[in-house]
Amino acid sequence: MPGIDACLDEAMALPGARGASVVDWTSGLSLGTAGESPGGDAEATAAETAELARAAAEYATFAPEAAVTEAATSEGAATEGAAYEGAASEADKGLPVEDVIVSTRTGYHVLCFVETTFDSSVFIHLWLDGATGNLALARIRMRQLAQRLVLG
Amino acid sequence: MTGRSVSPMLLRLAEERATGALLRDHGTLYLSEGRIVHAESPAAPGVDVLLTAGGRLPRTGWQEAVDKAGARGAVGRYLVDSGRVGGGELEICHLGAMFDAAFFALAPASGPTRFRYGVAHWFGTVRPVSAAAVERETLRRRELLDAVWPYEAVDSAPVVARPPAPGQTVTRRQRDLLAMADGTRSPAAIAWTLGRPAFHTLLDVRRLAAAGLVDTPQGPPQEPAGAVPPWVAAISDDPDIAQLRRLRDALEATL
Repeated sequence: MPGIDACLDEAMALPGARGASVVDWTSGLSLGTAGESPGGDAEATAAETAELARAAAEYATFAPEAAVTEAATSEGAATEGAAYEGAASEADKGLPVEDVIVSTRTGYHVLCFVETTFDSSVFIHLWLDGATGNLALARIRMRQLAQRLVLG
Repeated sequence: MTGRSVSPMLLRLAEERATGALLRDHGTLYLSEGRIVHAESPAAPGVDVLLTAGGRLPRTGWQEAVDKAGARGAVGRYLVDSGRVGGGELEICHLGAMFDAAFFALAPASGPTRFRYGVAHWFGTVRPVSAAAVERETLRRRELLDAVWPYEAVDSAPVVARPPAPGQTVTRRQRDLLAMADGTRSPAAIAWTLGRPAFHTLLDVRRLAAAGLVDTPQGPPQEPAGAVPPWVAAISDDPDIAQLRRLRDALEATL
């Protein structure tokens, strides 16, 4: 049965993988972790990567399609929240951001967003060694892993 | 603010690898061999709400799983085996709900703590987590809320949206939340409607309040109803069995 552990195992099997984890970006909660983490504290790493993931997932700059629908304000609802009624529209289907890549002096961090069918905010974090890792391969495989994690 | 440990009793039960239900004033933690396998709190939407609110799982599908597998404590397993929910999805959802309920169950205002040995939850085990990890996360969450916007009053008050300043952007998830802010719904009510964990909604509301997109009510927060005075928890949280035995023996000796 595919699950968080199977997903982490596969991520760790990638060449140059040093650490992997599944993290919730709203709260910074680590849902599962494998291998090492940069500071030696997996929970602190989860909280820090979550901040970055949240910024990427939330800022309008990275979700241009969603911003267009903001003009669509419904007439009927005369509540204070009326200005925000455009919320769930067509452009919001699918994640606006697929992944975030950070290149460091010694390696890479790939944060790959997971789309679930219920409301959630989860991504997979892979820490890759700069010398032995293959960023292009890792990015493709992470996308597949993110899809498989929820389809199961 | 509070001590390092959220519940000494929880850590002791984990140490003795206990199985059962830890009942606190604001929720219940279920342990299996010392690891936390489930948590419930009236303040936090359960897995059923998270899965059904967005239409992911029809309410009848949830009911069927409870009817068919509830008695043998394998509802989670049934949802996956019957193809209703993916294995990874169930883990993500269940862990989210569990840490959410644990956060409220382990709230400092909690009253007496009791442990019922041998009790298991009907949902079944999905992904056990160490009690220490749940404690650490609960403490981290408390600090996180205060680091974002140290005004507890916004947690319980009805959410009142404020218009964004010129040029201020409102993000996708914030829009969903603000669309529910009709001046009567509290953060908890919004969590239920959107099918999001209650802590996530509290955190988002505090972030919105910090950004000036939600009103921050004046004055101290309302006391949660039904909470017993803190000294009750202080005593029953960590019963000194040896001391109680000595007391009993001394009493018996004088009779």
